[in-house]
Amino acid sequence: MNYELVCGLETHVELATKTKIFCSCTTEFGAEPNTHCCPVCIGLPGTLPKLNKAVVEYAVTAGLATHCEINPDAKMDRKNYVYPDLPKAYQISEYDQPLCRNGYVELASGKKIRLTRIHIEEDAGKLVHERGNTLIDYNRGGVPLIEIVSEPDIRSIGEAAEYVEQLQAIMRYIGVSDCKMQEGSLRCDVNVSVRPQGSDRLGTRTEIKNMNSFSHMTKAIQYEMDRQIDLLESGEDVVQETRRYNEETGCTEGMRGKEDANDYRYFRDPDLVAIRVTDDMVAALKAKMPEGPQKRLARFQTEYGLPEADARLLIDRRRIADYFEAAAKGTKNPRTVANCILGPIFSRLDSDAAKDEFRVSVSPENLNALVGLLDAGKIRKNLVKSTLEKMLDTGKPAAAFLSEKDLAGVNPDDLRKICEQAAADNPNAVKDYRGGKEKALKAVLGAVMKMTRGRANPQEAEKILTQIMKA
Amino acid sequence: MVTHEDVLKIANLAKLSVAPEELDGLTKDMNEIIAFADTVSAASADVSDFDNINGLSNVFREDVPVPSYRREDILKNAESSEDGYFLVRRRR
Repeated sequence: MNYELVCGLETHVELATKTKIFCSCTTEFGAEPNTHCCPVCIGLPGTLPKLNKAVVEYAVTAGLATHCEINPDAKMDRKNYVYPDLPKAYQISEYDQPLCRNGYVELASGKKIRLTRIHIEEDAGKLVHERGNTLIDYNRGGVPLIEIVSEPDIRSIGEAAEYVEQLQAIMRYIGVSDCKMQEGSLRCDVNVSVRPQGSDRLGTRTEIKNMNSFSHMTKAIQYEMDRQIDLLESGEDVVQETRRYNEETGCTEGMRGKEDANDYRYFRDPDLVAIRVTDDMVAALKAKMPEGPQKRLARFQTEYGLPEADARLLIDRRRIADYFEAAAKGTKNPRTVANCILGPIFSRLDSDAAKDEFRVSVSPENLNALVGLLDAGKIRKNLVKSTLEKMLDTGKPAAAFLSEKDLAGVNPDDLRKICEQAAADNPNAVKDYRGGKEKALKAVLGAVMKMTRGRANPQEAEKILTQIMKA
Repeated sequence: MVTHEDVLKIANLAKLSVAPEELDGLTKDMNEIIAFADTVSAASADVSDFDNINGLSNVFREDVPVPSYRREDILKNAESSEDGYFLVRRRR
């Protein structure tokens, strides 16, 4: 029997606020343990949480960017569970009145993955297990998160990966999160079930917790699908449970049995007042939102005439897309600008992290000036790349490497002389050409370009060479 | 009515162990606590939104960092600590 995957994701995204959700401790990553803490975020009795305004604004912005309805009347609840990463023994979250509901994320195929909800909550501390003991760092405790819950609309591993990539791109674009999976600022819980192809019933699902890389996520879904299909094929049932992906074995393992299934006993947090999102607040946030990646992708193709694949690489990161637009401003050759970025510049940024940072020694204005010389016919295309390489090496503008002579081009009399010289230097090529081998002209043309260091206009040179070599 | 099973479930969620001889007493206590709280339900009131009787909303804090506490102060109440971490020892 053929089976299909039915998959939904819960994605946790750490918000890019400067401070935690309920206190004014910094959210900065990578500090010494327990140095970004105060009585509120270590849960001391008698402390009072106070909601960070930016958290609400970021969450509503995330909702708007994913076509959600914004709940005008949200509130916060306590989710009770006892585990040392939560010093209060409850997490402040949103239960039945989340900030955003009923949105969607659109895949390249046009398929929409529906979003059930987006709610705000606090992150837990970090546990380090050592020699049977547990060490706790509460720096991450109280860092604001949004949890984005999708409907089980995902039908393939490819769709799951694309969905997360889309979310990552959207959240980065609107600036609500840097979404670095390696630093844990984007993590997914994946709900997986299988069913016979064509069936419209949902099978029993399992939940794989805390996927923090694309490769682990795709491997975990594949493993879990195969495991569930094996169970069903051998007449057994899938047990609804929470599972963990073991990176070493590549397998998923059950985490807890059904008997102690969680009972969170949600209730309203009496320390926090209602969140009323007014139409005015929504309008103000809408007005501040940048253009989304989907729209920008379409515009890069129509406005700049870029091929889709190139446009995709550029819009993937907002910083790079912004750089491209600044560099391509007013030019007749936007594709050359794109090629400069995707070629010489990208080849110097060899990791995803380096591309995220996008530290480039050439300013977009200097790249714009370089391409401006091409627009004005002062240099040829082949000189653009080599000049850009020199600019990248030194951080200096194009003018530093192009002499007056370079920029002046080659005057027609000189060009004729150089062409004659090139033909004289390559008698075999000339003979071949006269014998009917038209391609032989290219070899001589190459020699001309070399002699002029790329300054000659190749069309002009070809015209002159044709005259000389035919004679 | 709260039963022995309810008490055991709540104890389990709170990670408490309850000895068999304590069950009767705890069950009785819990029934009395809930009966006491029921007097609130019995009272007549015009307010329907008990969640927010003070009518407050949108009490926000600006997103401006202030220095955190010193680590030795944060760890002061910890039963034990190690290398700047709170330490939870394995139960023997």
